[in-house]
Amino acid sequence: MRAAWVVALVLATACGSEDSSYDYTSKGAALYQQMCQVCHGEIGEGGLGPALLDTKKSHKQLENVIAERMPANNPGQCTGECATEIASFIKDGLTSSALRCDAVPPAPRRLRLLTRREYRATVKDLFGDRAPVMACPRATDCAFRDTCDAGTCEPTACDAQTFVFDPQGRNLSSVHVAGSFNNWASTIAGGGLALTYSSGLWVGTFAIAQGSHQYKLVLEERDWIADPRAPSSQPDGFGGQNSAFTLSCSGEVARDAIASLPAESRPSGFPFDTDADSALVTAMHVDAYLAAAEQLADHAAPELSKQFTTTRDMVEQVGKRVFRRPLTSDEVSKYGDLEMATALHAMLVSPSFLYRSEIGDNGRLTGYEVATALSYTLLGTTPSDELLAAAGRGELGDAKGIERHARALLDDPRARDQIGELVLQWTGGEAVLTAEKRRDLFPGFDDATRAALAKETREFAAAVVFEGSGTLRELLTADYTILDATAAKFYGVSGQGKVAYDGKRAGLLGHASILAATAHSDQTSPIRRGLFIRRNFLCQELPPPPPFAGGVPDVDPNATTRERFAMHTSNPVCAGCHRYIDGVGFGLEHFDPVGRWRATEAGKPIDASGNLNDVERLGTGTDAPYATLPELAAAIANSRAAQSCFTRQYLRFTRGMRETLAQRCGRLWLEDKLEAANGDLRELVIQAVLAPDFVRRR
Amino acid sequence: MISRRHLLAGGAAAAFALPFLRKSRAATGTAKRLIILYHPDGVPGVSSSGQPSEWHPTGSETQFTLPPVLASLQPYRDKCVFFRGLSMGPADVGSHPGGAKKLLTAVDGGNGISIDQRLAATVGSGDPFRSLYLGAMAKHNNASGDKHISYVAPGISQAPDDDPVAAFTRVFPTGGNTGGTGGTTTPDSRTMRRLSVLDRAKSDLDALRGKLGDTERTKLDLHLDAVREVERRIQGLGGGGGGATCSMPAIDAGGLAPAELYKAERFPQILRCQIDLMVQAMACGLTRVGVIQGSHHTSELIMSRFMGTPMYDPGFDMRSHQASHYGSNHDVAHREYRDYKLQATWWAEQLAYLLSQLAARPEDNGTMLDHSLVLYCTEVCDGNTHGHDDMPFILAGGGSGRIRTGRLFDYGYRRHADLLLSIAHAMGDTVGNFGDSSSGVLPNLLA
Repeated sequence: MRAAWVVALVLATACGSEDSSYDYTSKGAALYQQMCQVCHGEIGEGGLGPALLDTKKSHKQLENVIAERMPANNPGQCTGECATEIASFIKDGLTSSALRCDAVPPAPRRLRLLTRREYRATVKDLFGDRAPVMACPRATDCAFRDTCDAGTCEPTACDAQTFVFDPQGRNLSSVHVAGSFNNWASTIAGGGLALTYSSGLWVGTFAIAQGSHQYKLVLEERDWIADPRAPSSQPDGFGGQNSAFTLSCSGEVARDAIASLPAESRPSGFPFDTDADSALVTAMHVDAYLAAAEQLADHAAPELSKQFTTTRDMVEQVGKRVFRRPLTSDEVSKYGDLEMATALHAMLVSPSFLYRSEIGDNGRLTGYEVATALSYTLLGTTPSDELLAAAGRGELGDAKGIERHARALLDDPRARDQIGELVLQWTGGEAVLTAEKRRDLFPGFDDATRAALAKETREFAAAVVFEGSGTLRELLTADYTILDATAAKFYGVSGQGKVAYDGKRAGLLGHASILAATAHSDQTSPIRRGLFIRRNFLCQELPPPPPFAGGVPDVDPNATTRERFAMHTSNPVCAGCHRYIDGVGFGLEHFDPVGRWRATEAGKPIDASGNLNDVERLGTGTDAPYATLPELAAAIANSRAAQSCFTRQYLRFTRGMRETLAQRCGRLWLEDKLEAANGDLRELVIQAVLAPDFVRRR
Repeated sequence: MISRRHLLAGGAAAAFALPFLRKSRAATGTAKRLIILYHPDGVPGVSSSGQPSEWHPTGSETQFTLPPVLASLQPYRDKCVFFRGLSMGPADVGSHPGGAKKLLTAVDGGNGISIDQRLAATVGSGDPFRSLYLGAMAKHNNASGDKHISYVAPGISQAPDDDPVAAFTRVFPTGGNTGGTGGTTTPDSRTMRRLSVLDRAKSDLDALRGKLGDTERTKLDLHLDAVREVERRIQGLGGGGGGATCSMPAIDAGGLAPAELYKAERFPQILRCQIDLMVQAMACGLTRVGVIQGSHHTSELIMSRFMGTPMYDPGFDMRSHQASHYGSNHDVAHREYRDYKLQATWWAEQLAYLLSQLAARPEDNGTMLDHSLVLYCTEVCDGNTHGHDDMPFILAGGGSGRIRTGRLFDYGYRRHADLLLSIAHAMGDTVGNFGDSSSGVLPNLLA
């Protein structure tokens, strides 16, 4: 029987700050963040609602206003204790002196569950390329790393195999599979397994008997080639290669154990998969961990038993890599008295593997915890043996050592992947992989195209940060993007790699991934696109529509999107908020629901002008009219709000935390560093691990 | 053998022992199980121009009429309870997300655990699966957080399993756990290995607990609970000991490859599979608490892609949320309202299907439906006005005689926490209150 739940809001739990006199982990602070912040601002600086910072009102006056008149669009929701708590917070916590940042307080002790992405990368690094990994039936299953588009297709069942062939734009009349299971049939009529062309790829799944098989792909019943995606290959005796795979039905059906790991929960307003507080392990997780660990342990056991004579030896050596630290003697005994495969199985289900430890010793992360944090932050994977060894030698005990190793990690190619991942998640561009689009209106917007567009955003981000200026400005306003053949074909441009924009697009906002993710299946949505820019780029929130807001005006099929939504801003009930949204979203109207340029809509020319009003803060009454997307992008890039927002988003991604005021001083510290580095995001990455609250724990 | 190309068969094709069956029975006179069926974006309730609801039944407590959108429930009218006057409280910040957070927790902001998790920890704690949370496209486009209605901890929701084949494999693992058949008593080596593994995981979790503050300890406690649940289940299944075999019709998951799981045309089939799986799991005694979530609030589900329904239109995409914002009037000449009513009708048909599956299975002196509770719910009342009053709940099933069915109860204004509390009592969990706004069980509902 579970103990009674404390109604504690599960937000960050910094155990008080050393320097400010107010504890920003209070209930009042949490309630304010939930109910008031959207209008009154994070530190009561004001916005749609009046400023509360350093208010002259008394506790009692605040309580009364809150209980009787707040929230402004639906009063009466916070009375009694709720009103008292928030009033106390406003009076005592939203003061210039309480908010003064003399120092950056330590971060809370935490455990961070490996995300699926991190789990896969970790497993790959621990067990090598041939470890059982996702079968990747579709690009979205492997959005973070190997995709079946670009990687291998492991056996998908114990009695059937999936074949995928990318013709790379070639028009083929047929593709079939010929192998040891069908007498190497040279024609389809003769028993060849014919693949079907679907969404840019030739695919097919066929029942095949258990055992080891070899095969080739036959193009147009004429060209015999090895399958680029086969799990393995063998010499064919003629100087070429046969593709090979093995099917076995003994034991449970070979399933993709890692894909059964439940998806991370992304709390609203948190675009990333890294929030550690909401990553709770349920029975579904345990089932998946158990199964995945079993697959991995069985796969690795034969090699390990050649390498190690006793389980104890294996546990000590391999355990250090699995737990990312040396094991205690108790742990060595606990695992060492098991049979070798079981010991490895158990270590992979242990919380010491599944969680990244950020507990610290005497208020500071241990060297091994620093190694772990550095590696997952910069590379998205487990620390290498070298980094762990450096930790063992005490090299990560001070800022100099951390900086040296961090800069070295930044040179690792996986650092590029991590930046690509950050930007794709930050912009919500991943949704291009799954967003529903009308096939009749947008033929050819297939899985391969979607994957190429997601890739564009990743590669562009990496290019800007590692080859370009590395600034947010360039991310937003660059006059180029990075395209592969599939993406180039989609956009209708020639050339690949670094491709110049034609003046109509700029930076990330020109990416079809983002444009498609923020549109419906059959029409654009200025509301979604406007909110997206406000939230993701400027960290500005708007309150939700009040209840009884009334319906959306009827759609006139002969009107442009802009004309239809004009009714939003003409209705005073809606205009209060919509004037901040629609005027921004309209700037993207030249881009259709899949991100292609369009000059007209419903036969009329498109008006894509707008106003990035109140860009620094809602309610300040500033205007920033623009007529083109590049102008809109520049207006965003020119704002302090965008720079500050990016720092906030970066911290969310890397620290895995929905920030509260307890983290504010740390963020401001980092913003200063970014400014001192002239906006160079590479420096942001380094400074973020040199920040006082990176290693200090309370 | 499980394959997306084949039917899923948890019984006829692969009979296996389930010693849990009949072991953990509910006390007599309490409902044996609860299934919550969720649909998004409200119902055609009172319009903003004041027209009466086209969803709520009208009439007196025992003499009432179902509106046309609920016609599919007519055969089950006597097994259902309809409500007027149940409110989720003031429609707080964010009517759709706010509603979804309060729906099963009865706490603003979702700052409490949901009723399914409460019951999983109380009456369900000894079951192989303390609860099952299945979805149909509930995680579309990375939907998470406030889109999900089951809360494992205050403020923290969990995600359902949107993949019927994966869920089936988890609930009815084939091939493995062969120790039970034939009544052998020695668990096989695979089971022993898994138990050793979980044993050490528990020990490591205990060791970590001591180093952390409250919030993190809660995290580890939940992790420990999860490990124990799986451990118990493995012990039960692997331990053998004769139990009844559980032989049920197969589930049609043909064509549901992972790539198909988020295509709108597949939605009806996916939802049906999840309903079938839930019923089957419960018939086999594997769980007694389940939530089936169809899509999620502000749904982009294109219901005009459902072939064979009146909504079908390949030339026009009508999304669930879009239809729910039909304007100020109930005007079927307007496309949105026409489709919104059709959607409401369709969702009610899914409830009818669930009830039919429970009614088709004999149990004790009646059917599974007689001994079950089914809660049909959504996160707002009328989709256009987003209100949280007069919420369109339906409670179905006899609850082993605990529920007075065939009724329309008008409670005037009563918090829905009391409905959830009543459900808890009917399940045998006689807790004093639930959520932050309960005042007692609903009058006359419990027999």
